Amino acid sequence: MSAKQKTQETTSYKPYSWQAILEFRAMWVVLALGLVLPFVISKPLATEIMVYALFALAFNLLLGHTGIISFGHAGYLGAGAYAGAMVVYYGGVGVWVSLLAAMAGGTLVAVLIGLLAVKRKGAYFAMISLAIAQMLYFLALSPFKRWTDGEDSLKLPPLSVDFPFHIDLSDQLSLYYFVFVIVALAVLAQWRILSSPFGHALKGIRENEDRIRACGFDITRIKFLSIIYSGLFSGLAGGLLAIYLGAASITILFWMTSGIVVMQTVLGGTHTFMGPFIGTAVFLYLRNNISNYTDRWEMWVGAMFMALILLFPEGIWGTIVQKIGERRRPSAS
Amino acid sequence: MLLQTKGICKHFGGLKAVDQVDFSIEQGKLKSIIGPNGAGKTTFFNLVSGLYKPTHGQVTFQGKDVSHASMNERSQLGITKTYQITSIFPRLSVFENVRLAAQSRVSMFNSWRKAYSYSAINNRTMEILEHVGLADQQGRTASELSHGEKRYLEIGIALATEPTILLLDEPTAGMSPAETVEATHLIRKLSNELKLTIILIEHDISVVMGISDEVMVLHEGKKLAEDTPEKISANETVQNVYLGKGAEPCSR
Ligand SMILES: Nc1ncnc2c1ncn2[C@@H]1O[C@H](COP(=O)(O)OP(=O)(O)O)[C@@H](O)[C@H]1O
Ligand SMILES: [Mg+2]
Repeated sequence: MSAKQKTQETTSYKPYSWQAILEFRAMWVVLALGLVLPFVISKPLATEIMVYALFALAFNLLLGHTGIISFGHAGYLGAGAYAGAMVVYYGGVGVWVSLLAAMAGGTLVAVLIGLLAVKRKGAYFAMISLAIAQMLYFLALSPFKRWTDGEDSLKLPPLSVDFPFHIDLSDQLSLYYFVFVIVALAVLAQWRILSSPFGHALKGIRENEDRIRACGFDITRIKFLSIIYSGLFSGLAGGLLAIYLGAASITILFWMTSGIVVMQTVLGGTHTFMGPFIGTAVFLYLRNNISNYTDRWEMWVGAMFMALILLFPEGIWGTIVQKIGERRRPSAS
Repeated sequence: MLLQTKGICKHFGGLKAVDQVDFSIEQGKLKSIIGPNGAGKTTFFNLVSGLYKPTHGQVTFQGKDVSHASMNERSQLGITKTYQITSIFPRLSVFENVRLAAQSRVSMFNSWRKAYSYSAINNRTMEILEHVGLADQQGRTASELSHGEKRYLEIGIALATEPTILLLDEPTAGMSPAETVEATHLIRKLSNELKLTIILIEHDISVVMGISDEVMVLHEGKKLAEDTPEKISANETVQNVYLGKGAEPCSR
């Protein structure tokens, strides 16, 4: 770079870091791959990956982007699934309304957890969210059995969409693309949120909560809004999950759901945007293949998880980004 | 008076870290606080900035009692402090460290507009980076900066919140002598050119003497003296407990 250029540049600014540019491109690459995914792996598995990837991204809004650990995300996903399924089952409404109800369900649980726990830190927040999710599980299991069917899942009739055009959701490929388009839009919306002043404030909280408060940010309200967004997108994932499964099932609310989303997110890389998406795809692909061969898939998936984390300490995508950064550094400075 | 404390106290259990301190500063002045380690200087700043609530006493700012306002509320009112122990956003870029602080005056909850589309904030960020001499480091990750550069970034973050009063807690801590001289110039510039009201905590007396309008000496939480720099350096009690020019300075 010539000296002349250099003097001109002192007043200009280049706000976008190479990581942000890389993540932005990675997002489009992953979404483009999503277009062909059902021709590479089975259609139901592809659909499941999309739904859970959205869920993991929503979870990572809290863990990776705000620095809040939640062990209760089953509560948001389950609330979304049950809210979405119940309005169809009892109200006979269409798929779009069902998805709106699912988002409302997830958001409602987020408001509840937010009100009770937003000021708690670290393990305290994690435990309160776990407790509330467990409470929802037991409520759905027996006191509300009349409405949820308890251990028997709440089964949905075959569904189809009529607006903007007819889509038969009992066709596996149509269902996949329906889910894919909604997930893609939700991913883009989350990217947009994280690129906003609010999203940047979240990163500030994650990096240094004390300093961001000293800069005048009202972190209680910012965290609260972050929990709401996480609940909203998790609820949407829950609504899609109910449509994909054709039912809202009690296992969605089980604590293991909260544990698996942590694993998927960590596997991909919490400090990245697309990490949770990639982690989910790898996790579900492995689980699906392993469970074809053995009933003890939990053990094998656990072993694989540990091996991958040893190999990729920052998660698969997180470690790749880190390595690219290390390569850049000598030339950059 | 822009800022005033009346009989302010902070007790940690039995320890009176700050004890009955009356302090005031007028708009546009630069006042320094000196005192040996553990005198209560940082605790005093934390009372003014709102990190701690006083055990007794009152803080008034622009005529309003702000004793019970939270740290973020006081920041929004215009009271900002820098940290003795560097407190930055380590994994964010230098640019983003300062931009975030500048953003605090404009938007916290807008979730849709792009953060980098606020050109006024971007320009202000660059202006501040120029002031603290970090403009050509804007793209680097903050954690990669040298110690001295981090100290400047610390000041840059505080400046970006457009403070009415700036509290600087040992800004030269850990700096080399050359860096200390530069930092002293910067503080003088902030005071003279940007007309900021500044309270400066310093360990290095020579820094304080050249640039302060007045100096307050703290000792074991209490105000020992408050005067012009010349009179402070001539004050015998101060010499004994702090400056160490007397026969027997206090033991550390
Ligand atoms: N959060 C705290 N809890 C307990 N004691 C504290 C705390 N902060 C400071 N102190 C004590 O208060 C006294 C004053 O500390 P400080 O204000 O940091 O002094 P200075 O900044 O003048 O070196 C010291 O004895 C210190 O140990
Ligand atoms: Mg101190």
